[in-house]
Amino acid sequence: MDDKRPYIFKITFPSDLDYIAPVRKFVAETLAVTKFSPKFAYRSEVIVDEICHNAIVHGSRSIDATVEMECSIFPDRFEFHVNDQGGKKEDLDRLKTAVKKADKRADELTEEKEGRGLGLEIVRLLSEEVKMEVGVGNTTRVRVVRKREDL
Amino acid sequence: MASVKIQKKPVDLRPDLTMWKIDGALDSDSIGYIHREFESVLETEQNFLIAEMSGVSVVSSAALGQLMGCKQMLVERGGDLVLTGVNLDVKTKLSAMGATKIFKFYNEMRSAINAYHWEVERKSEKLNLSFPSELQFVPPVRQMVSRISRQKGYSPRDSFRIETIVDEVCNNAVEHGSLRDKKNIDITVTIDPKKIELEVINASDPDQTARLKELSKSVSKKAPEAHLDEKRGRGLALIKMLSNDLDITFSSQGTSVHVTKLREE
Repeated sequence: MDDKRPYIFKITFPSDLDYIAPVRKFVAETLAVTKFSPKFAYRSEVIVDEICHNAIVHGSRSIDATVEMECSIFPDRFEFHVNDQGGKKEDLDRLKTAVKKADKRADELTEEKEGRGLGLEIVRLLSEEVKMEVGVGNTTRVRVVRKREDL
Repeated sequence: MASVKIQKKPVDLRPDLTMWKIDGALDSDSIGYIHREFESVLETEQNFLIAEMSGVSVVSSAALGQLMGCKQMLVERGGDLVLTGVNLDVKTKLSAMGATKIFKFYNEMRSAINAYHWEVERKSEKLNLSFPSELQFVPPVRQMVSRISRQKGYSPRDSFRIETIVDEVCNNAVEHGSLRDKKNIDITVTIDPKKIELEVINASDPDQTARLKELSKSVSKKAPEAHLDEKRGRGLALIKMLSNDLDITFSSQGTSVHVTKLREE
């Protein structure tokens, strides 16, 4: 790999759950061909699944909404961000709460009564960095950084 | 008296679509109520109904039969009755009664609306991907496109052919693309229930323009020759054979390959 530049992938896909599996598998296979371990690739796949699922379910107000993902593969880490086109205020509040909860220590994690909301906590556990930015019209960008484990 | 309540209301994301918000127990006493509510749906031009069932605690076989009748009538009108938000307990029981083979279940309202777009309106969907111009990335790309076509109901045979086309087009884009400026390759996949269209754009190497035009000429012939005595050079012939339309254009921006593949099965 050319250490001076990352491999950059950009994907824009319809806000439809049908696309999550092909996209997350694409990310895992891309990490595999760039010599990341199968464990790293699988864990990244889990994270991509969760973030894309949130973008579709909570961040797609219009019926023609799309989800944008940009992945950067460095020799020592994998970074990606997912942009959605904005959800309802209650969806955004729920996401903010989930991000805050994700900051708790792993041993404090408890499943919510309704059995939901653990996704971002798992993302946090498996990543070095998770950041959420809210833009105009409640558009959301979630950025995740994972460092290579086998260096 | 029926211990269930059905509220008919427009879907948030698509106000022209109707949903039933069902709460309570769909038992045998509810059959008449379902029938009356459904008749009011039939009076309109609606042919697609989404039943939101997160508030349903039980579905009896009699009520299930009534819903099947409603579905049948909508299917005959070119639409469908689909179920969303069914809780795990109810879904397990419905599955035991064979309902999962008859009804489509969706976890989210958005998925049900997407199904309407795809199956009733037959709208196309588009995915754009930009990836580095290296051969190692072609297998993940081709597999992703193949998986999308499978996910959208294309047969394994169609999906395999689509995968082969993507593989050939992307390999060509990497091999014949410009080595000077390390621009990404852009692929656009447009899929609908009848066909899939692929557009692959790459930066061209000016030194290879003459060769690329020669390749393009071979494609424009009705039956491009596959040079059987040579080790390579069969890619375009293969794409031509597997697809329904192939068009290659050159410009200062690069090379654009457009392929249309009709769904066969």
